[in-house]
Amino acid sequence: MSEVDANAAVDTVLLADGAKPAKAARREAGSSIDRQRKKLLIPFVGPAFILYTILFVVPSLAAVWISFHSWSGSGPMEFVGGENYVRVFKDPLFLKSFGNTLLLLFVVGIAIFVLAFAMSLVLRDMAGRKIVRSVIFFPHLINALVFGVLAGFIFNPGGIVNTLLGPLGVKEPPAWLAQENIFPLIMVTLVATTTGYYTTILMAGVDRIPPYYYEDCALAGATAFQRLRYVILPLTWDVFGTCAVLWTISSVKIFEIIWVFGGSSGAGIPPTQSWTTAVYTYVTAFSGQSTPSYGAATASAVISLALVSVLVVVLRRAMRRDAVEF
Amino acid sequence: MSTLNKPASRTTMRRSAKTAATGESGPPKRPRKSASGTASSPALRADRSPLRTVGIVVLWLIVALSIVMLLWMLMQAFRDTRSILSDPWGLPTSLAPDNFVRAWTVGDFATATFNSVITTGVSSLLTVALAAPAAYYLSRVAGRFTQGLTMYFILGLGIPAQVILIPLFVMLNQVYLTDSLIGLNLVYIGVSMPFTVFLLTAFFRSLPLEMEEAAALDGASALRTFVRITLPLAKGGILTAFVLEVISHWNETLLALTLIQSTEKYTLPVALISFVQQQTYSGADWGGLFAGLCIVVLPMLIIYIWLGRRLTEGLTLGMGK
Repeated sequence: MSEVDANAAVDTVLLADGAKPAKAARREAGSSIDRQRKKLLIPFVGPAFILYTILFVVPSLAAVWISFHSWSGSGPMEFVGGENYVRVFKDPLFLKSFGNTLLLLFVVGIAIFVLAFAMSLVLRDMAGRKIVRSVIFFPHLINALVFGVLAGFIFNPGGIVNTLLGPLGVKEPPAWLAQENIFPLIMVTLVATTTGYYTTILMAGVDRIPPYYYEDCALAGATAFQRLRYVILPLTWDVFGTCAVLWTISSVKIFEIIWVFGGSSGAGIPPTQSWTTAVYTYVTAFSGQSTPSYGAATASAVISLALVSVLVVVLRRAMRRDAVEF
Repeated sequence: MSTLNKPASRTTMRRSAKTAATGESGPPKRPRKSASGTASSPALRADRSPLRTVGIVVLWLIVALSIVMLLWMLMQAFRDTRSILSDPWGLPTSLAPDNFVRAWTVGDFATATFNSVITTGVSSLLTVALAAPAAYYLSRVAGRFTQGLTMYFILGLGIPAQVILIPLFVMLNQVYLTDSLIGLNLVYIGVSMPFTVFLLTAFFRSLPLEMEEAAALDGASALRTFVRITLPLAKGGILTAFVLEVISHWNETLLALTLIQSTEKYTLPVALISFVQQQTYSGADWGGLFAGLCIVVLPMLIIYIWLGRRLTEGLTLGMGK
């Protein structure tokens, strides 16, 4: 697992850092300042290393450990091997949550990518692009709770959407916030609020394509589609890869918006139809409704981690192409 | 057509593109020489397809809608629940901050805001203070060991928060740091290390080395070089990293919800959730809720207006390079 992650991380670093990771270091190898710098290891890296290890790495490893035990948080831990994993995969609630997580990952992900790419193509040379870009980026800085609460108001039976639909002749608007409709609505809300961020990243990729390629296309008589297929896509391919990795990592943690979407049902827990694995983990461990099952809860979390790791590796493989130098 | 994608033809394409860009006379005479090389050359404006026009209109609609939504939310915070429900499109009749006062006093948003400000400020400051030296070391010392260390830090980027939730709760509980803002601060610092170290390492690498070398030649120690030369040069990047941490800690919900139990230690997102949940019993107070939303959103809006471009660059750093 960790090796898998490490590979992905290496790729991320290489990708992010572009051309010259080692140049700076090579130029000064062996100089006295270099030797001095090496002495800074403990005071400079030490504190960050210790806090990060204790508060992030150890808990991650402990999660894997706990997932092989039966434990209610207090009392003795009992080693049960893979039983928790078998148990969650037999639990219809977990399967529903896992399915929802996959829906977010793939359906919402693809929708975001298609829209973001289309938007970045339109934005490329339109007037006022800076204004548009700053406005569509802003939702990324807002807590998703806010969108969840607002959606509850907008789709309320007497809310904005229905007051707008009324004059249009819709006499019986759908029950937007009925349990079976909530998750699709969450998916739409996520597309609406996340696309702007990915558009901004894709634009950074589209922007670095030098203008003379477009001129050359025009001179060669290329159609808009040919220009897209042979210039823009190959030259932004690596940015696509980065975005896909980012979405994989962030979609698996989605929690807040589901927790409050459409107000709250009586018990303070969202309807099970809209759970994701993150919600499943939290509820199984902390809801206080039944005996907490830390084993099953961490098993669910570890499964999400495995999902992320596998997908990141697959993505890096699939997106790997000869880097186009330009 | 597919040959256009082959390397050989790409080089020829690039060559011809370069001559075109520099405006040198090649065999084919270029039609409109005057407009060459600039971003507004006719070649770039060539496509005025209806599809594109639709796209532009849609984009401006999205922009208008976003701004209207934001303003609408601000407006509703000044209206009382009954008028909000009877006419969601109405404008406030007065600017009396009743809802804010009520949210502030009854909804415990005052304590929560105070807690959030303190937690966000302290943890972001400490995160950057710890990550900057580490990132400096990782960006300046070469070797397999450093590479491995960098990897170790970056590994955390791929671990979703729910994985560490339960072990963290158990561990902190043993040292009496659950339901404690100190514990929450520590957790935020630890969890933010991967991204901050990643961002700052990339940033330090992008700085020119000449001044550091000059300082070293003048006999400055490595520590002195870092404090007197690199840190001032890196002010911009460090500020970006700090503000990005402020944003993520201000909005962090899952860990705070798990680790904090008593009302007087709630951070804003937790207070907001509890406010939403209380409505199930005490009836909807949409006015107060909108005021609460504004308290969560407005600081982000102010930061964004103040530092907008820097944040976009920080969050997309490396993606476009």
